[in-house]
Amino acid sequence: MLLVADSVGLVADPPSDQAEPTAAAERAAEARDRVHFEEEALEHADQLYRIALRLSGSQQTAEELVQETYLRAFRGWRGYRPGSNLAAWLATILRNVFLDEARKQSRRPAQESFEDTSEYYLYNHLSEAGAEPQEAVLNRLSGGAIAESLGDIPPMFREVVVLVDIGDFSYQDAADILGIPIGTVMSRLHRGRRALKQALASRASEDAS
Amino acid sequence: MSLDPCLGVESQLQPYLDRQLTPGEVSMIEQHLGTCAYCRERYHFEAKLRDTVKTVCCGDPVPEGLVERVRLHCRGQGAA
Ligand SMILES: [Zn+2]
Repeated sequence: MLLVADSVGLVADPPSDQAEPTAAAERAAEARDRVHFEEEALEHADQLYRIALRLSGSQQTAEELVQETYLRAFRGWRGYRPGSNLAAWLATILRNVFLDEARKQSRRPAQESFEDTSEYYLYNHLSEAGAEPQEAVLNRLSGGAIAESLGDIPPMFREVVVLVDIGDFSYQDAADILGIPIGTVMSRLHRGRRALKQALASRASEDAS
Repeated sequence: MSLDPCLGVESQLQPYLDRQLTPGEVSMIEQHLGTCAYCRERYHFEAKLRDTVKTVCCGDPVPEGLVERVRLHCRGQGAA
């Protein structure tokens, strides 16, 4: 399949012995596109919604982001190369939609002003707070607490954590989606995870007080 | 790895959990985890934290009818 798609891609012009596509042929192609689109792309709606929810922090915004993503995805459907990573392709669009929306609301992404902390920041914090085992605190961790903590992280770090740790994308996929080098993915992931631990820790102390 | 093996484990714990290390690095870490309770406890905590974040977030309920609404939205916009 891939080989066929690639070799077709190498041909600069369609064979010239074919007549110009008629309107009917064009309509048929569109109908085929729609069927493929609905069969393949819509399968990823749940995954995209969960990413959107973690990026935006709001259910309503998440659904709007997903709607807009699919609209753009359909319009650009012929730009999708069959056999390549469809989830990553859709996530790239989602991320662009998210950025556009964030820009519209002129929420300037907060810069990386948090300090770097120990890998074991959360663990240490829970140990000091201490009556119960650290892992018991994890068992109580709710989706709401994680969402709020993610919301505390600057977006440039949040998006990497969301893609890799929640969306299950590889470093390379995340690099492609975000348009940054893989080394940058790794360093942002590193800082983003630490920032998440810091945020979870301060929430844990709020809960305790 | 750095001179202090516990610091070495701390600095490589995330790449270890991400399965980004070479087999040699992996076996050094695992050997150390086998003998050091300090690092082992922290490793379990970090692994569980990862797991919890993923499990909790992957359980996010998706609004009912989302796919249908998306489909209608696309068709309604004349996109499909
Ligand atoms: Zn140790």
